[in-house]
Amino acid sequence: MYGIVVAINVGIFAILALSVNIITGYAGQPNLGQASFFGIGAYTTAILAGKYGVGFLPSLIISGFIAGIVGLLLGLASLRVRDDFLAITTIGFNFVVVAIFQYVPFFGASMGLSIPPLKLFGYPVGYVGLFIIILLLMLLVILFTKRMERSWIGIALVSIRNNEEAAESLGIDTRKFKVISFGIGTLIAGFAGSVYAYYMGFIMSYNFQFMTSITILSMAVVGGLGTIAGPIIGAIVLGLAPEIFRFVSDYRLLIYGAILILMMSFQPQGLVGDGSIFANIVRKLRPKTSGVDQ
Amino acid sequence: MFLQQLVNSIVIGSVYALTAMGATLVYGILRVLDIANAGAYAVGAYIGMAIYALTGNLFVSLIATLIISGAIGICLEKFIYLRLLDKPSIVPLITSIGVFIFIEDLLRLLNGPYAKRFPAKLPFSGIQLSSVSIPATWILVMVVTAVLLFILWYILYHTRIGLAWRATAQDMETAKAMGVNINLVVALNFLLGYGFAAVAGSLIGIMYNSISPTMGDTPAYKMLAIIVLGGLGNPVGTVLAALIIGLVETFLGGYIGFFLPRDAIAFVALIIMLLIRPKGLFASNNA
Amino acid sequence: MEKRLFSVISLLLIALMVMSGCSGNQQPQQTQSSGQQEQQPSPSGEETIKIGFFAPVTGPAAADGESALNSAKLAVETINNAGGILGKKIELVDYDDNFKAEQAVSIAQKLTTSDKVVAVVSGSYSNPTRAAAPVYQQAKIPMVSAYAEHPDITKAGDYIFRQSFVGPIQGRAGAEVAVKKLGAKKIAVLQVDNDFGASLVEGFKERVAKLGGEVISVDTFQLGEKEFTPLLTKIKNENPDLIYMVAYAVEGSQIVRQMKQLNMTVQLLGTEGIDATKEFFGVLGKDVEGLVFTTNLNRDDTRKVTQDYIKNYTEKYGFAPDMVGASVYDSFMVLAEAIKLSGQATPDAIKDGMYKIHDFDAVTGVITSYNKLGEVIKPVQVQTVKNGEIHFFDEITDMEIIAPPDIQ
Repeated sequence: MYGIVVAINVGIFAILALSVNIITGYAGQPNLGQASFFGIGAYTTAILAGKYGVGFLPSLIISGFIAGIVGLLLGLASLRVRDDFLAITTIGFNFVVVAIFQYVPFFGASMGLSIPPLKLFGYPVGYVGLFIIILLLMLLVILFTKRMERSWIGIALVSIRNNEEAAESLGIDTRKFKVISFGIGTLIAGFAGSVYAYYMGFIMSYNFQFMTSITILSMAVVGGLGTIAGPIIGAIVLGLAPEIFRFVSDYRLLIYGAILILMMSFQPQGLVGDGSIFANIVRKLRPKTSGVDQ
Repeated sequence: MFLQQLVNSIVIGSVYALTAMGATLVYGILRVLDIANAGAYAVGAYIGMAIYALTGNLFVSLIATLIISGAIGICLEKFIYLRLLDKPSIVPLITSIGVFIFIEDLLRLLNGPYAKRFPAKLPFSGIQLSSVSIPATWILVMVVTAVLLFILWYILYHTRIGLAWRATAQDMETAKAMGVNINLVVALNFLLGYGFAAVAGSLIGIMYNSISPTMGDTPAYKMLAIIVLGGLGNPVGTVLAALIIGLVETFLGGYIGFFLPRDAIAFVALIIMLLIRPKGLFASNNA
Repeated sequence: MEKRLFSVISLLLIALMVMSGCSGNQQPQQTQSSGQQEQQPSPSGEETIKIGFFAPVTGPAAADGESALNSAKLAVETINNAGGILGKKIELVDYDDNFKAEQAVSIAQKLTTSDKVVAVVSGSYSNPTRAAAPVYQQAKIPMVSAYAEHPDITKAGDYIFRQSFVGPIQGRAGAEVAVKKLGAKKIAVLQVDNDFGASLVEGFKERVAKLGGEVISVDTFQLGEKEFTPLLTKIKNENPDLIYMVAYAVEGSQIVRQMKQLNMTVQLLGTEGIDATKEFFGVLGKDVEGLVFTTNLNRDDTRKVTQDYIKNYTEKYGFAPDMVGASVYDSFMVLAEAIKLSGQATPDAIKDGMYKIHDFDAVTGVITSYNKLGEVIKPVQVQTVKNGEIHFFDEITDMEIIAPPDIQ
């Protein structure tokens, strides 16, 4: 059971890392506030399921869409504010959202909110069931990202990341795609938040702080932005690190910091990003299957 | 009450100015959002306390703190930051967060998790009037901040190296082409950037008579709001922004009470301002 | 293309499955390799009673985490030196939750499934404890929350107990002291903005109104705040008879200092948490006189358990224990008592034993009993600071005030 619980944790953060990857990896827009959308999803579910007894699927979907709509609004801000200024706007957004959860009685304020255990068709869903739901959700996100990567949206998003002016001169409306990427990325984070709320059974504003955003982004960057395997691998590596290093309990955080520094110093493109050791090995082994040539 | 709140806001603003100056300088040259600077702030407090305990001389301990922490900054620059400059800006950001987590936890392991006191004896006493009281530590904070900012201003605007700094901040490639010794400028930048943060940490330690491994937590993100408000990498703008935030927080808290946490107020102001002026309140030409 | 996608997904699935599989199959090894020094099997290879423990040893609450862990170790040592319980030694299985609810949940799984402990003490704050409580309830492993305040923790079920007062009790006791003992009519509240602050102030306001006092303002600040001069200047202007300060030691010590700097002489009434003594007096030294606060540890208690605890802790760690430590220590002692009372060291027997506890001589006062909800019934201590030392001020035993909520 311990393994399943750790896997659920890693799974939720893998979905989150995939979600921020769409905004930061594909569209190249810094987002240091992804935890706020995670939180919006979790709080929406806590209110729907906890206060109004709404079932799992509607809660999940509504949570995702509310997060996505707020994400679209933040996306609109990205049209005006750019680069490092945008990065800090997203940090600020995270603080404001957490402050609202912390202060508004409707959101449980400082007492947090409880969520009843997840039931499907009248049967309680245990950790194993939750884990399967998370895997399915992750599979959907992966398939969707894969499609998006191949389709014209993906091409447009990548060209924004690489060179916005050039993309514009080719007639791509970069504004539209930036906003769309924010909408999609935050929608997925909202889904993750909904599942998280069911898993934890109790949420507080503290869980969705700026540091959580950093954790999510670190996972995507350490694994490799702009790839699909990257954020998942990043989530596994950084998600497991605190559990694996329990035997050196007192030095866990130190090791976590060291992993970030070393990874960024020696593999700044991420574990499986373009040009990383891992990616090179894969390319040598399977020269014909690199995704770009299709 | 008004006068007292005004004094309160100036002290808070001075503290913010000094704390955010380090990150401003680093950003000015390297365009890196340097969270690790808040680590230097905590390290500085511990170094300052240790040297003060050894020498009993506040002046010596502040200068030594500046130099030692500056040297740590130069090491970080040489071994970590310089090799990341051509990478996307997210890479040095995550790195600096790694450095920050590492420093904070190292301090906890070395010094224990409990807060320690920093009881400095000051050669002057505070001012007590009927309507206003200004403790001695506040005077220390304001005076040291003013002196350090004056020195910084003098270096930046009245020395050759300052000219080189400004040229590099404007455009590193052009400055290099014109024969500016970039290495020297960057080294000086980190010396001052980390030194200032460390002195700020020491002063805060004295002002609150308390230092702890996690004392850098709040400055880590708070200073980002201030340096952005100040126009990212513009030292003069940072000072003005720090004073404004000190003023807004104090008067909101003092007259209305906090309807949001203090830090959130700074960020609300920041977001509104950025939507109106996307390059900061005091945007310099190069930002 | 599709192939690669499937290989990625299958890789991922395998990784996750292997991971969950590993920990499921390697249980005997897990316990040995989880690496805590305290877990070495006792030399003679005899059977031990395993008690789990978690606290925020790293992260923003590391100071309380360390106090908690210190006391946990001391408690186990004390019990084992006295010959253990039922002839068996206690084995401590301790983990760091890093102040995170997610980690507390995985720790709960680890303790209940792979470490196979018979009972658990939470040395952590409300958020991790509240998130982990249902896991222990479901696994039917009794958990004693040492000092977390959230009212919902014990509502997780009959296996969950609390060794400290639920928030509103202490708030009501504070109101009693403020209005009756300190004669305050106009009261300003300065409160840390979390569940601890909110639940205490709720009880405080209700009781103050009943006693005919008036709360003229409530100001909140966030955890870790250091600058109180704007709020204090405002409160100074309101000219209250008393300030009710719901804060931990780090913030509380700054409030005391900054009041002094602003020449404020108004009476302060604090709460537990402020007596994390190492931090509080570390900052203030002797610069705090006449502060009154409610807590659960009476430093002047003449009973042997209390004096022994204070003496042993000070000898072992070099500084005086605090309320967090005392609560954790008591949690272990209460579990030991429950094992003795039921004569068996199984989770169910311990749970039943907990409900049998009656007039138990704990460090933090004589525990009358635990009610059906698992809330402790014991008097609230009121302490004051004289010459940089904490002394007895009053004790509140009125059942109307100290009766915790119960299952109807």
